[in-house]
Amino acid sequence: MRYIFNFPDIGEGLDEGTIIEWYVSKGQEIKSGQSIVRMETDKVVAEIPSPKSGTVIARFGNVGETIHTGTPLLEIEIEGVFGEEAVAQAKAPVVLATVEEGSTAVVGTMELAGSNAYLPASEEGFTVPKTEKKTFLKVLATPVARAMAKELNLDINKVTGTGPGGRVTKDDVQNFHLQTVPEEKPGIQAPVTPDEAVTYEPLSQIRKTIAKNMINSKLSAAHMTVFEEVEISDLIWLREKYKKVFSDKNVKLTYLPFILKATVNALKQHRQLNSQMDLENNRMIYKNYYNIGIAIDTTEGLVVPVIKDADKLTIFQIAQKIGELAEKAKERKLTLAEIRDGTFTLTNYGSIGGIFGVPVINYPQAGILGIGRILKTPVIKDDQIVAGNVLPFSLTVDHRIVDGGEATRFIINIMEYLKDPFSLMME
Amino acid sequence: MEYDVIIIGAGPAGYVAAIRAGQLGLKTAVVEQMYVGGMCLNWGCIPTKALLESAKNFDRTKHYAQFGIDGIDLQKLSFNWGQAKSRSTGITKKLTAGIRYLLKKNGVEIITGTAKLGAGNSVMVNDNKISATNIIIATGSKPKAMDTQLEGAPIVEMEKLFTIETIPENIVVTGNHVPAVEIVQFFKLIGKKVTLIANSSSFLYGLDDFLLSYINKKLKSENIELLLNVFPERYENGELLVGDKKIKCDLLVNCNSRSAIIPESEIPLEHTDRGFIKTSDDFETNLKGVYAIGDVSGKSFVAHVASAQGIHVVNTIKGIKAKFNTRAYPINMYTSPEIAQIGMTEKQLKDEGIEIKISEFPLSANGKAMIEGNTDGFVRLLSDKKYGQVLGAQIVAANATDMIAEAGAYMAIEGTIYDVAQTIHAHPTVSEIFMEAGFDAVDKAINK
Repeated sequence: MRYIFNFPDIGEGLDEGTIIEWYVSKGQEIKSGQSIVRMETDKVVAEIPSPKSGTVIARFGNVGETIHTGTPLLEIEIEGVFGEEAVAQAKAPVVLATVEEGSTAVVGTMELAGSNAYLPASEEGFTVPKTEKKTFLKVLATPVARAMAKELNLDINKVTGTGPGGRVTKDDVQNFHLQTVPEEKPGIQAPVTPDEAVTYEPLSQIRKTIAKNMINSKLSAAHMTVFEEVEISDLIWLREKYKKVFSDKNVKLTYLPFILKATVNALKQHRQLNSQMDLENNRMIYKNYYNIGIAIDTTEGLVVPVIKDADKLTIFQIAQKIGELAEKAKERKLTLAEIRDGTFTLTNYGSIGGIFGVPVINYPQAGILGIGRILKTPVIKDDQIVAGNVLPFSLTVDHRIVDGGEATRFIINIMEYLKDPFSLMME
Repeated sequence: MEYDVIIIGAGPAGYVAAIRAGQLGLKTAVVEQMYVGGMCLNWGCIPTKALLESAKNFDRTKHYAQFGIDGIDLQKLSFNWGQAKSRSTGITKKLTAGIRYLLKKNGVEIITGTAKLGAGNSVMVNDNKISATNIIIATGSKPKAMDTQLEGAPIVEMEKLFTIETIPENIVVTGNHVPAVEIVQFFKLIGKKVTLIANSSSFLYGLDDFLLSYINKKLKSENIELLLNVFPERYENGELLVGDKKIKCDLLVNCNSRSAIIPESEIPLEHTDRGFIKTSDDFETNLKGVYAIGDVSGKSFVAHVASAQGIHVVNTIKGIKAKFNTRAYPINMYTSPEIAQIGMTEKQLKDEGIEIKISEFPLSANGKAMIEGNTDGFVRLLSDKKYGQVLGAQIVAANATDMIAEAGAYMAIEGTIYDVAQTIHAHPTVSEIFMEAGFDAVDKAINK
């Protein structure tokens, strides 16, 4: 029978995408899980996998065209399905499942977002939406993935696999479990036309998602912010010294890699800041990996790519990674994988000229560190007034998880590293 | 001439990539200087294992009496190097003919000549300019040259070993990796006096310490002298000076660490610190549409990984995207007994802070191993404590290089020790040791 695959909600709350490249052509045999098209949305570039195996009958849309979620992308001939039921299902209206609260993974919603107008050729690897009165079919998954899903008390049928044949792997379960909500920061405002009193514009999907997530964060977490300043003349000297060495290798050395390194070192000693509260299961989840989100300001709006396993990277590698991700963010080439799974976030409004702020937590993370601009200001050193370089910090924590004392110890820990940057390399 | 893909080098990386490209309907050419099948088929994997098989049979014959076979006069027993070589060459010829056939069948053009990369994804071969959307460099590697001070020494590289008429008595092998150990054991099995010089501090780097200590003991028990972290300095009067030692040496076999064979390129290719072609996770070089796979990219030095890289790159070119799994591939040693390892080592797991359980089962308690008279060996499974996922496996057994595939399958599907224990293995087989190690990890081995 014929199956029409509609452009699914890829989980960033965006309602349209532009076709960059088709990977399949008419008449081609494709496998379930195979990438069929490369789509660009406002935030990311994503490869869209086919939910079914079969032969491509038709592609909808040419390169450069914009496709809305829920509209047809590909028509596939699936062998071995016929009969009245197939006809009945094919006639049924295409119903898009709504994205569940807090669920932002592509993988979790991909299958739900499709049409029901087909029957599976095989039971393995296929899941049906919960709303349907069908028995749950067993999803294809590795033994470890099953054990992990059981332990984490999550429904493995909701996880879409990236392994061979769409098999759910350990990583898929981990990613599903640790998925984070998109960044909540406002984008760039549209210019106001002066000759009308007010201008009405429809809310974009991004703006709606941001609004939802901001409120969710503010309603779910108990925000508390502390402010600190640190004198960083030694760090300035160190950075000046290595700027050239880095730039010879085409890497721009800013203060951010040092601050990130200091943050990771401090997170290791203050695990509450790298955790999440799981009220549903009455427990805390302490993360033993350090994925640091970096807020990057682009013309399209703010995006937060994540530096994965930052604790395993050197200053050079961090600087290199920041450069890469910033470049990709500007060219809108970030992939979903690159903006997911953050455990703590840095927001550097100092680069735009800001001093202090009250950042909103990237929920369900436990904290966000705001970085201001370095101020040349008089400081007292050995009872003398001298010119100093002061870096202001604003740290917001979720007071449910982190007490005031711990928040202050954490930020002082970061400041000590930055006051004496050599200590960063000693660990 | 315009192609979809030009592949430079027809070794296990290049020819597999070429066949795959042909299968996917890409217009493909493969440029090869001399040897279709590369080092693997012509003087590496296949011929050396053929020689080792001859040597192992030679050794086995000495023990036939205990199996109830009379009539073998040990005094008359001798190793026929010429016949062993020609058997090996026969196998090579058959296999290379097979590859030529497969390339042809899949519409791949074979161009004989030396390739030079030009601008705009072009390649110069024999003064002809051809070009392609994608170029795959699979030119392989060669052992690092011996020190120039050793001039005059009877040095031979594996490529030329097969041209030697007779094998002298005193053999010295230099090298740090699997092939060096295999070749030194080959000479030992056919009754030569041998010395292995591991001329770096990273002898058998990447192997689990447990296997390393087994190998060290094994070499010692076979009277194979192993000199670690020393360099041969001079050669005079038939002797090699190594530190304060003088070693008789009639043949010096160079199995040194590898250096890349990088084709000439008009636009320079970026190199790694170690002198290999620098590539991305998907093996793309600094030039767009130019890929490097196999030894020349320095990411691995075994044929099976090179082939897997070849398939991965061609799939990537065709738009079939997947992540290349670099961890789970077997490292095989065709020694006697064979040694095989897959996945992570004990040290790597500990360094990553993963809590592990180690379960072992010895061959000395295995019926089939006793029947075959090969009870020297064991299996060792490393699994994580939380879910029991098999993260590493090590085997010493007569057929370890074949048996490791079972562990590879468990690891490919993220299998656990429970799966290993619950898989019914036929009795009697050597593979039963897997099930026993599985039981041992879950609770207790039955026959231990």
